[in-house]
Amino acid sequence: MIMSAKVLVADDSGTMRKIIIRSLNAVGVTDVTEAADGAEALLKFAEEQFDLVLTDWNMPEKTGLEVIEGIRGQGSKVPIVMITTEAEQRRVLDAIRAGVSDYLVKPFQADQLREKIDKLVSV
Amino acid sequence: MKVEYINPFVNATTDVFDTMLSCPLTRGELRLSGQDQPEHDISGVIGLSGDASGLVVVSIDKQVAFQAARVMLCEPISTINADIVDLVGELANMIAGAAKAKLDDFELSVSLPTVIVGTNHVIGFPSNARPICIPFESPWGSLCLEVSLKEHEEPIANQEPAAVA
Repeated sequence: MIMSAKVLVADDSGTMRKIIIRSLNAVGVTDVTEAADGAEALLKFAEEQFDLVLTDWNMPEKTGLEVIEGIRGQGSKVPIVMITTEAEQRRVLDAIRAGVSDYLVKPFQADQLREKIDKLVSV
Repeated sequence: MKVEYINPFVNATTDVFDTMLSCPLTRGELRLSGQDQPEHDISGVIGLSGDASGLVVVSIDKQVAFQAARVMLCEPISTINADIVDLVGELANMIAGAAKAKLDDFELSVSLPTVIVGTNHVIGFPSNARPICIPFESPWGSLCLEVSLKEHEEPIANQEPAAVA
């Protein structure tokens, strides 16, 4: 079941996308679509069905917060994890209000990310 | 710039290198930066804005960047390419982001990272906020963190913007 999950990864850093995809691969997820900014993420989400979305907050074009709002605005209940340096309580609350499912603050251990991915794609 | 604002940036730098790279850092002595010139050839620059404004510059030795790429990207890289530029930008982003979370009273926002490569490149800090430089040593080589942060004492519209040249 885990291996069939389709995941959208949105981050303007290619380095971070590679780290995230390596963690996805480690739990058996290989069907990954990348987006380098928020607008591209929303475009790709509109084109395909995803089982999980992992998004950065600070990105060009549209922020991760706007990505979450856009996805929830379509009525989707897909799990969304924000992976970001934005650690302040008010930021986390903003993300929760927008509909985020889980939150991971950078820098993070690879194990932390794998645990979240494993939990969400196994449900 | 008040020296107490420096600790969150120092701690963020050691935390990012330890967590993401398993690379221990040894901090050198704080000093006021007297020049505009970074000490290394690759600099990740992040602008800070909010109830204070300034710049965070993470300048690293290229050998440190190559080793960081080996760990973070699992790729051997021995030239400064687009992957190295992106990696240094992300390191600067994580350092500035982690530090700003500890300076919550300023309600800071961070800019997207800019990365400057090349010898003798110049970072223009705000003239009213002389940067503090914190050198670090790692098993891979040296790096330097320069932070300039100025609390606003007048409306933001009258503040001199941070510039990168």
